[in-house]
Amino acid sequence: MIPEAQTRLTEAALAAVREASGEGRLVTQEDVLAAVMATTPGSPACCEEDAGADAEAQPSSASVGQEEQEPMASEELKALLSGILAEHPKLASFEGLSGQTVYHAPDVLSRTYARILDRKGSPLLLMAEEVRANSRDYPRPVPVELFEASPFELTPEEIERALRVMATDPRHQDITFTTTSTGAVYLFSTLHLERGYAAFLAQRAESLAANP
Amino acid sequence: MTRSDGGFAGKVLRVDLSTGKVSTEDTVEKYGDVLGGTGLGYRVLWEEVPAGTGPFDPANKLVFATGVLAGTGVPCNGRTAVTTIFPTCWPKPLVGSGHMGGQFAARLKYAGFDALIVEGRAEKPVWLFIRDGRVELRDAAHLWGTGIRRASLEISQEMGADCVVAAIGQAGENLAPMAIVANSLSHSAGGVGGVMGSKNLKAIGVQGSGAVRIAGDKGEWEKLIKFHLSILGGNNQHVVPSFPTPQSEYYNPGSRWVGEPGRRWGAAEPPIELSGNIYDLNRIAYRTNSAAFFLGEGAWKHTVRGNGCTACPIRCHTIVKVPAVAAKYGIREVAQNTCVGLLFGRSFFKKLPGGMRGQAALEACMVGMHLADDLGVWCNYGQLQRDLQKLYYDGLLKTRLGSTEYASIPWDKFEAGDPAFLFDILPRIAERRGELGQVLSQGTAGLFSQWSIPEETWTQDNGTLYWKMGHPKHHANEDDGQCGVIINTQYNRDAQCHSHSNFVRNGLPLAVQKRLAAEIWGSPDAVDGVGNYTPMNAHKARRARWSVVRKELHDSLGLCNWMGPWVASPLKERGYRGDDSLESRFYSLATGRKIDREGLDRIGERIFTLHRALTMRDMGQLDMRTQHDQVPPWVFKDLSGAQPFSKGTICMDRADIALAMDLFYEVMGWDKTTGAPTQEAYARLGLTEVGQSLRAQKLLPGGAA
Repeated sequence: MIPEAQTRLTEAALAAVREASGEGRLVTQEDVLAAVMATTPGSPACCEEDAGADAEAQPSSASVGQEEQEPMASEELKALLSGILAEHPKLASFEGLSGQTVYHAPDVLSRTYARILDRKGSPLLLMAEEVRANSRDYPRPVPVELFEASPFELTPEEIERALRVMATDPRHQDITFTTTSTGAVYLFSTLHLERGYAAFLAQRAESLAANP
Repeated sequence: MTRSDGGFAGKVLRVDLSTGKVSTEDTVEKYGDVLGGTGLGYRVLWEEVPAGTGPFDPANKLVFATGVLAGTGVPCNGRTAVTTIFPTCWPKPLVGSGHMGGQFAARLKYAGFDALIVEGRAEKPVWLFIRDGRVELRDAAHLWGTGIRRASLEISQEMGADCVVAAIGQAGENLAPMAIVANSLSHSAGGVGGVMGSKNLKAIGVQGSGAVRIAGDKGEWEKLIKFHLSILGGNNQHVVPSFPTPQSEYYNPGSRWVGEPGRRWGAAEPPIELSGNIYDLNRIAYRTNSAAFFLGEGAWKHTVRGNGCTACPIRCHTIVKVPAVAAKYGIREVAQNTCVGLLFGRSFFKKLPGGMRGQAALEACMVGMHLADDLGVWCNYGQLQRDLQKLYYDGLLKTRLGSTEYASIPWDKFEAGDPAFLFDILPRIAERRGELGQVLSQGTAGLFSQWSIPEETWTQDNGTLYWKMGHPKHHANEDDGQCGVIINTQYNRDAQCHSHSNFVRNGLPLAVQKRLAAEIWGSPDAVDGVGNYTPMNAHKARRARWSVVRKELHDSLGLCNWMGPWVASPLKERGYRGDDSLESRFYSLATGRKIDREGLDRIGERIFTLHRALTMRDMGQLDMRTQHDQVPPWVFKDLSGAQPFSKGTICMDRADIALAMDLFYEVMGWDKTTGAPTQEAYARLGLTEVGQSLRAQKLLPGGAA
């Protein structure tokens, strides 16, 4: 592909990821490819047999690729897109719960939020990893009610079920809780926070509004 | 309005209430080297109020001073410092300042004045009328005895639209040390209302039609303001939201940035749903809802909107509407305030039906605001409420009050958490009625002086949060270890400093805070994780020095130290950096006098050192280290027995705090033995004459007269 065409493909891929991120969606390479094809009539991929019917109907000259260029083989395009997605400084990726690599634009959709979105299908993992990240990075325990609010939006039943599983699952033995003098329950990971310190931080968090 | 250097209005107004004389001075010529605000107030007290002057003596002066940046377009510029001999300071009244936001500062500057110095005592109650250059003392007989709301309304009707009124209530009239002056109804300065009352000055009404001239390039000015807006967070410069959001890498459930899309100001007419990008500069005001943060989630439905000070997009004074209180208590259904003001009523109770975030708590807050902001009662940063609780639950009141008075107080309501209790206790304090009213109206000082309760009873009790000299801690070891302790030793009232606490509470992960700390104060070790304190080091001392210097700078520039400094930001692309030179860049553009960060910090240090000198002179004390810079014993005590430097305690180590003071005095250029500034320190800051004067009084280290 000539440099101009590659640039246009890069821009289209970036736009596709940014648009998805703006809508709170993580995308795979296939999603990006489909979006590029759908939004860029006449892109090289449109000439491929496996391109969508709508795309096939588009004139092949108006496009990402050059008019005189030969249609690009599907594998070649995928490889090119893969490189673009992996190397673009404004994009980030990680292996999602599905096992596929997912992409997002961090300036629109932060890494933290992207991880939360990816794990939303698994309350247990969502809670455990969020608790660990908070214990490790800030460090702090988190109030259990956090997981009822957006963007977690778990029901009290889902939270209770997840905590029950964690209590017996050897992979989650580090996740535990502390209760403040006001009765608030805070979760933390013993991998990153000692119990006594977590209890102190939870008590402090509860008292912040009374210490203006 | 007199044309001046940019930024300054140009004149300081002086009103002698004893003679009725009104005069003016050139601000820059007389006070330019101390900027304005607290700097100007300390200078006036240093030069004009002799040591030994009592707070309610006619010789005491009351200095309402704004700053260069007040009344401009700079965000968070609505501050007025009210400096005087502070009446709640114990055992001896010393210099102190109350601080109020609202619209007073801007209006005073638009009227042509950077500051107002009130002196003497009027023969009868008066109020001060200021309309541009026209200044009059007017009869206040019809206002005396009224609350702040009535007085403000009456004066507003007399002056007409767009005036701002700063008034005292009954507490101030009765010379209660625990009295406020409030402008714009709810923006109060604590502790100074009684001084106004002692001068028979009920209120100050200000109208101004002028403007503040900006000397620098307008394009640069606008650009800098936009930049400042871009690095603002929510209330108290918490730079991450309290909830995960697509735009944020970080969040913190303890952040005061609570506004997120989907939330509603439920009592607005019609209700307003917060929408759009919360990082949008036109939506900064959506981020803060003090009522929701302090009173709980339920406050969203009672929220009308955010209100606040001139040019401040944060809007920390949340207006709340609770119709139920109108019928139940016969009070207004709408109130507004922020942090301590919002909590005023609730804080009296140890427990409330439904808990501290329930309906009774909300009603207590409404009743508290209604009464305190009208009677003009101050709470001494919550110490009033803690004092009453300790007195009652420790059984001290039964032994101190006569049985008749004791029985006349509805303690059943107090214990049950009934907000109606406030209708009894607050008027007692404002009117200084009975033994209890008399004592509580003096603040904690009243317990020590009138009831001879040993101060140790308070300083040894972790629950009182009492620090020293009649006042509580204000963001001390519980927030910031040694840095917080040092700062809390330095003032004659609670420290009122947020430079340090706004940084450690900004919500960023510790690793990011440490990276920023390394850039600003020279080492990541300048900051610790809260409750995981490490031994003292020079970088912490440097940060403590920076904190008090910035506090004084903000107080003297008209900026809000409750919102600043702005050395961290929500901006990922800036690595969450703010800008440590913001104040000097604004000052340079506003005045046309170029000054760098170090230069302006030197002025801040000058102001802080002047406060130190004034305190020493009025105490007649050289040994500030042992006689002034005290730390209460509770700071060194952990109720569960945890040792200093173990994780999960705010307990400090005595030897380490002694080292902390050593290092702090060292970075200040003060004498380590006495904690007193040296002649070299005074000279370096352009205060040679101050040092010489103290030398003559044997208050200079190593220097005989």
